Amino acid sequence: MTEKVTRREILNLIGAAGGSAAVLGASAALGLMPNSAAASIPQLKPLDPANRKSVAILGAGISGLTAAYELSKAGYDCIVLEASHRPGGRNMTVRSGDIIDEVGNRQVCEFDDEPHMYFNAGPARLPSTHRNILHYCKELGVELEVFINESKEAYVQDDNMFGGKPIKNAMFTTNARGFMAEVLAKNFTRQELDQPFTEWEAERILGMVRSFGDLNSANEFRGSSRAGYADIDGGYLAHGIQKEMVSFRELLKSSYVNRLLNANEGETGPILFQPVGGMDKIITGFVKTMPERVYYNAIVTAVELGDDSVNIAYRYKGMENSIKADYCLNCIPTHLMSGITHNFPRDYTDAMLYVRRGEAYKSAFQAKERFWEKEDIYGGISWVNQPIRQIWYPPHGMFKEKGVILSSYDFGGGMHFTRLSQEERIEAAISQGEKVHADYRKYVEKGITIAWNRMNHMLGCAARWQRGAVMTSDEEKLMHTLRSPAANRHYFIGDQVTLHAGWQESAIVSALWSVNDLHNRAIGNSAGINPAPLV
Amino acid sequence: MKNFLLACLLTGSAFTLFTPVAFAQQSGMPIPGQEPVLTSICMTCHGAYGQGNPVVGGPRLAGMQAWYLKNQLESFRNGWRGMEKDYLPAYEMRETASALTETDINQLMVMLEAWDAEPAPDTITGDVSKGAELYQQCVACHGADAMGNELLAAPALAGQNDWYLLSQLKLFKSGYRGSHPEDIFGLRMQVVLPLLNNEQDMQDVLAYINSID
Ligand SMILES: Cc1cc2nc3c(=O)[nH]c(=O)nc-3n(C[C@H](O)[C@H](O)[C@H](O)COP(=O)(O)OP(=O)(O)OC[C@H]3O[C@@H](n4cnc5c(N)ncnc54)[C@H](O)[C@@H]3O)c2cc1C
Ligand code: HEC
Ligand code: HEC
Repeated sequence: MTEKVTRREILNLIGAAGGSAAVLGASAALGLMPNSAAASIPQLKPLDPANRKSVAILGAGISGLTAAYELSKAGYDCIVLEASHRPGGRNMTVRSGDIIDEVGNRQVCEFDDEPHMYFNAGPARLPSTHRNILHYCKELGVELEVFINESKEAYVQDDNMFGGKPIKNAMFTTNARGFMAEVLAKNFTRQELDQPFTEWEAERILGMVRSFGDLNSANEFRGSSRAGYADIDGGYLAHGIQKEMVSFRELLKSSYVNRLLNANEGETGPILFQPVGGMDKIITGFVKTMPERVYYNAIVTAVELGDDSVNIAYRYKGMENSIKADYCLNCIPTHLMSGITHNFPRDYTDAMLYVRRGEAYKSAFQAKERFWEKEDIYGGISWVNQPIRQIWYPPHGMFKEKGVILSSYDFGGGMHFTRLSQEERIEAAISQGEKVHADYRKYVEKGITIAWNRMNHMLGCAARWQRGAVMTSDEEKLMHTLRSPAANRHYFIGDQVTLHAGWQESAIVSALWSVNDLHNRAIGNSAGINPAPLV
Repeated sequence: MKNFLLACLLTGSAFTLFTPVAFAQQSGMPIPGQEPVLTSICMTCHGAYGQGNPVVGGPRLAGMQAWYLKNQLESFRNGWRGMEKDYLPAYEMRETASALTETDINQLMVMLEAWDAEPAPDTITGDVSKGAELYQQCVACHGADAMGNELLAAPALAGQNDWYLLSQLKLFKSGYRGSHPEDIFGLRMQVVLPLLNNEQDMQDVLAYINSID
């Protein structure tokens, strides 16, 4: 057996052969450095007016709207057919008077009618690395503000830890890091590392470990003011009283030891943004540029691929209508498309049958008072080891009288609440929230719940392609099939045909890929830009 | 609804180039017996023309006998079906059925008659001759042609999605369906359950039913 080559060694090899430029490119491929590819917004050469083309876009999800926007700019005749009374699909912001169209549990939001009193029932966070969606925010004039994902002043609550008493996030993380650093420092000897370090390097490493865990000069963790002071005035005019260290054994009883320290890394790491006034400002931004092209309550019922066109039947205003277009971009969830009449090729149909509906659940309350601000919380998440899992405090509307608080968020295993009645959902959210904020019940009112698995015209969230722990190459091929055009004119779009479902960026990237491919075909490069990228 | 699309193409009422204005002025065909809100709700799970949706798990409604539709909606509303929270498909249907009024149900029954009913595609294979033997025990209630018998409240099995019938046989077998003491129609299925010993038996009998429709 050959020995495994380290990434560093590979770099040296490539560097020797190709100069430093080679090293840069390769390191991006290996995932060491971010790839600096520019946002993939297409610059479509407008169509020749003598060669007009029509595109029917099924579903006004963010992918459908992105496609309609770009294609309209390039001179295509576009129309968007949306089954719901509202655009945006999963991008949904709930405000006073809004209807929540859950099958069997229709709700009307009764929050106060004020700009900051909204709830992002679907997406709520925009990572700073999601270049395409940020590009559209800029282009459409959607004002953004910073979203706060982590507050050290928010809580961690677990019935298995401290008898269920909530502790501040700062307490949890400071102690966990202190313990880890102390273990690391104690075991740090040069021999144990595969690379020999110089004395100077070794000292640097120890310094890093000490500062990571706030160790004393003897490399011991004896508590830290990072966890806050025991007395609230501490440290200003008089010496602060440092909080007692907590027993690390106690933290170990909670499964959060395995999942709290990564909550603010990667895509949910700083910096995140949110549109001022609600996530659907992006949707309104798109629709404003083409209001006449988007039809609501227009339910697609059949899609027929023809030799030189796509025929679409839809219900609209009590009539069965049909429309014929040169191309079709379709973001209707594949699990709903399975109940829509079509003549898709066999491999397409098989792929559609394979995908499973994803799950997600969120709920929110209007808070009569911003009680969290009295606890030094101005955003971020409390982690609760209960079905509600998370409580989010709004980073906007600071110091106002009221606010909208997210009272549960179950992404991925959202069926617990989905099974409950509205009353049971609300009661569960309150009683579990009381584990964190003792007088929660006193403050919260007008609860709304969104079980994505039950939302009309959606019945799910991020598509599930994977049956096992990792996606198999067969599964990837199935997805690839749906991403590729059928009969050279029908494309599935949306996060559902990407490897990264659950983010709007994916939905947009998918739309842009299809738009590019379609345009290439329309202007006579009959092969388009196929094959659709597998990865 | 391919017929509809075809009709439009033949009569030339569909057009190649559309503009939003033309779209707004476009006239379509009225939907027979259509009550928009109701159908739009059922469609999401049962398919655009009631043809069934295998991924969501909603069976074919088009072609169902109206009296059977009513029986089942009542069965859900009475909590004889769909009470078990660990079988979500029926649980979801029960929630929907509970929200329906008598008027809704009557309208649905009228609407159902207006829907095109094409037999559902076959997806199950099995030993047809073994299935034929097993089916002899079903004939009395479901009929030799598997078209059902209203007097006995036994529905047509021919034409229904076979994956759905399979799931129902499993539910009967496990007591999730047809075991509530007041569910007199559901209880009638009890007599044949000892015959269906495993999934293979069920597949065989369904393969036979597929062969007769
Ligand atoms: C709880 C939750 C949290 C999320 N958090 C984030 C986040 O923080 N950041 C982020 O970027 N993303 C997040 N996402 C993911 C994001 O919402 C999706 O990736 C994105 O909105 C998907 O857009 P889409 O265009 O692919 O499809 P969708 O939004 O699913 O659009 C599909 C559209 O098709 C329509 N439709 C269905 N049937 C028919 C029919 N018969 N005829 C016509 N139209 C039909 C639907 O009504 C809908 O409008 C979250 C999602 C959820 C649910
Ligand atoms: C949320 C999805 C959903 C909606 C909405 C829905 N159904 Fe269902 N329905 C189902 C599922 C899933 C089943 C199968 C349950 C099972 O497997 O036991 C079902 C079963 C049924 C059955 C029983 C069929 C049989 O042969 O046993 C009838 C009848 C029915 N639905 C009618 C309707 C009508 C009418 C509507 C609209 C008012 C409707 N459904 C809306 C999901 C839904
Ligand atoms: C004694 C009469 C009787 C016999 C015999 C009988 N059934 Fe049934 N079956 C019924 C009735 C009644 C129903 C409807 C139950 C209800 O209303 O919930 C039914 C329902 C069903 C259903 C559910 C259909 C649907 O759309 O929901 C299936 C599947 C089924 N029977 C299969 C069989 C098979 C297979 C056999 C033979 C092995 C059989 N039945 C024998 C009376 C019978």
